[in-house]
Amino acid sequence: MELTELTPIKEEIKGVLGDKIDDETLEAELKRYLNDYGVGIEQTKRGIIRKYGGADMTMVVTGSSVSKKIGELTGSEQNVDIVAKVLYAETKEITVRGLAKQIISGILGDETSTTQFTIWEPGSITLEKGSIYNFKNCYTKVWNEKVQINLGNRGRVELAHGVEMDVAERVIQTNPTECKISELKEGQGNVSVTGRIISMEARNVVARGRETTVYSGVLADDTGKVQFSAWNDLGLKEGETISIKGAYVRGWRGIPQLNLGDRCEVSRVDAVFDVVESGSSRKTVAEIVKVGGGLDMTVEGLVVDIKAGSGLIKRCPQCNRSILNGICTAHGQVTGINDLRLKIVIDDGTGAIGAIVKRQDTEKLTGITLNAAEGLAMAQGEGVVAREMATRILMKRITATGNVMSDDYGPSMIVNTTSHVETDVLKEANALLDELEAAL
Amino acid sequence: MNMRETAWRVSAAELNASTLEIRATEEKMPSYVVTPLGAKVNRVLISGVLTEIDNIGTDEEPMWRGKIVDLSGSFYINVGRFQTDAVAEMTTLKEPCFVAAVGRVRTYTGDNGRMYVSVRPEHIVEVDEKTRNEWLLETAKSTWGRLNDMKKALSDPSMKVDGLVKAGVNPAQAEGIVYALENSEELPDSMKYLGVIQGALKHLLPDRSIDLGIPEEISDEPDEIEMDGPAGGSNGADIEDTILNLIRELDVDGRGAPREELERRAETEGISGLELEEVSNILMDKGLIYEPNLRYLKLID
Repeated sequence: MELTELTPIKEEIKGVLGDKIDDETLEAELKRYLNDYGVGIEQTKRGIIRKYGGADMTMVVTGSSVSKKIGELTGSEQNVDIVAKVLYAETKEITVRGLAKQIISGILGDETSTTQFTIWEPGSITLEKGSIYNFKNCYTKVWNEKVQINLGNRGRVELAHGVEMDVAERVIQTNPTECKISELKEGQGNVSVTGRIISMEARNVVARGRETTVYSGVLADDTGKVQFSAWNDLGLKEGETISIKGAYVRGWRGIPQLNLGDRCEVSRVDAVFDVVESGSSRKTVAEIVKVGGGLDMTVEGLVVDIKAGSGLIKRCPQCNRSILNGICTAHGQVTGINDLRLKIVIDDGTGAIGAIVKRQDTEKLTGITLNAAEGLAMAQGEGVVAREMATRILMKRITATGNVMSDDYGPSMIVNTTSHVETDVLKEANALLDELEAAL
Repeated sequence: MNMRETAWRVSAAELNASTLEIRATEEKMPSYVVTPLGAKVNRVLISGVLTEIDNIGTDEEPMWRGKIVDLSGSFYINVGRFQTDAVAEMTTLKEPCFVAAVGRVRTYTGDNGRMYVSVRPEHIVEVDEKTRNEWLLETAKSTWGRLNDMKKALSDPSMKVDGLVKAGVNPAQAEGIVYALENSEELPDSMKYLGVIQGALKHLLPDRSIDLGIPEEISDEPDEIEMDGPAGGSNGADIEDTILNLIRELDVDGRGAPREELERRAETEGISGLELEEVSNILMDKGLIYEPNLRYLKLID
């Protein structure tokens, strides 16, 4: 660590120790603690102060703390006091550098807003839901564009006696947001969804050190499908149409997943319900980008690029991963098994999506079978296969259905089914003309 | 995010009428051409008849130029050896034929100060007439969509990007529209683009008598555009010479000019890192320099 970065820490220590330590010694000590021994900044401060006779540890606080309402927090507070009501709190076990550790996390609220909080060193602190506490010496951070309150090892929690508090209106939101499945987006809380359970299973998993049962499945409405999971047995059965109130949405690489938490209400609906057929959940790429991803989505567009890794590839006989030059990253030198694959980009004019197409559909789209590809590779070299496939699919219009994930490079689909599309140019041109004539 | 840029479906008439550009100001940021209807274009999907091909390079290192004619005008394309797929594909094409191409747009400034747009295909393949017609249809629909989005924006000038997105406009399109309206001297000529749509529909529906009361477009396009100049720069030729001289000078051991040193020297000559990057790409395309490896640039003698 550079010495210039240490200036605030130096100032802070000197504020406590005064002239018990001179600059030179302090710098040398800081260097020893931080650089030579790799001790953390908090521990370094404490260590040096203790060593040179600083008395009160609670003085080691950056400046004096200020009190703020939750709504006033910016996410960059280093030392702030907050009086708030505990809306929800739970003790969690997390693993830090291989060691199990208890933390308390939950939601705090006051008149202005609500937010998540974490107590990293709870010690003997217990929090009662609904009680109001004074949370002292907190620091705040921004996560997912929301401010979070943290209490580290200098944080303190005191019961706030005689304080009354009405928590901000939107917290006790009684009306969940009604959503269609295709609108669900990672990070949403308190949503209502109605759909039919099209698959359902109970699995035993180990969560937080305990074996529990998770009830998960796929829910569908007329706009799309989503995976859901519940931690309580709600007696859900395949084929039932249910209405869920107060669920929240988590995501895995952009694929939204519906979570039926403790506060969630589930009721059965008698009404006959239309459910998307596989392949009919047609989306534009722009719509997919907006929600991040999902199950069983269909796009239609032109194949505008074919990427390296397409054509005739070899897979490891043990793990089925694709291998390069006969070497599997997991199993070393192996005799690869031939396979066909396409990695293409589909563009529909609203956006571009990567797509990985398995052998069967690669054969269907390109008209080149694995046998033919092997023959072609034998005669003209392996690179020829991908080039030949490119000439057969580039600028062709296809539909592809599959699960879509997103990362920094945008959305990509693992394709389940795909086919060429025949556009009825006459019909669509007539429709456009009618629209124009009506508008002009 | 490094999301792949959408391939916009735009007619030659709309692309060539562009006068606005959003140039990259930092590394990895793409540049865009903004069309009069607010398409914010980095990549396009174009189709039409390839009418001219010209190899201005050598047989070993071809530099292709060409012209793709749609019903509204011509797209000017150039393919250098860095478009490896397209270079290979060009050799299989024989003009005239229907082609479809996807590629990035580049701009040039003519002697009269006017901006010209060309397309540098990443892929260019021969297609049948049906595929070309599908493109005409898709592009007509897309043009109509932009006209309507533009109308939304004009009907309520207080509506900025957020407002337009809320009103259902694609975000990239909304940004393009707002940029176009804030930076253009005049409003887009909607008749011109209705004319493009009418032309496409007449071609697709020969049996219907179509008269939307729109005059046929009279092309104001040049027959040829000068694509030798560097993108955008008026003193481009000078910069090129300066950089060529620097590379010659810094190549002391035959390995080439070290990039870091080159950047430093260019900086003192008042050439920014971005300009250097751009001009060296042009020089590479011209076949004057190459990269023996990532850290060096060297003259081709």
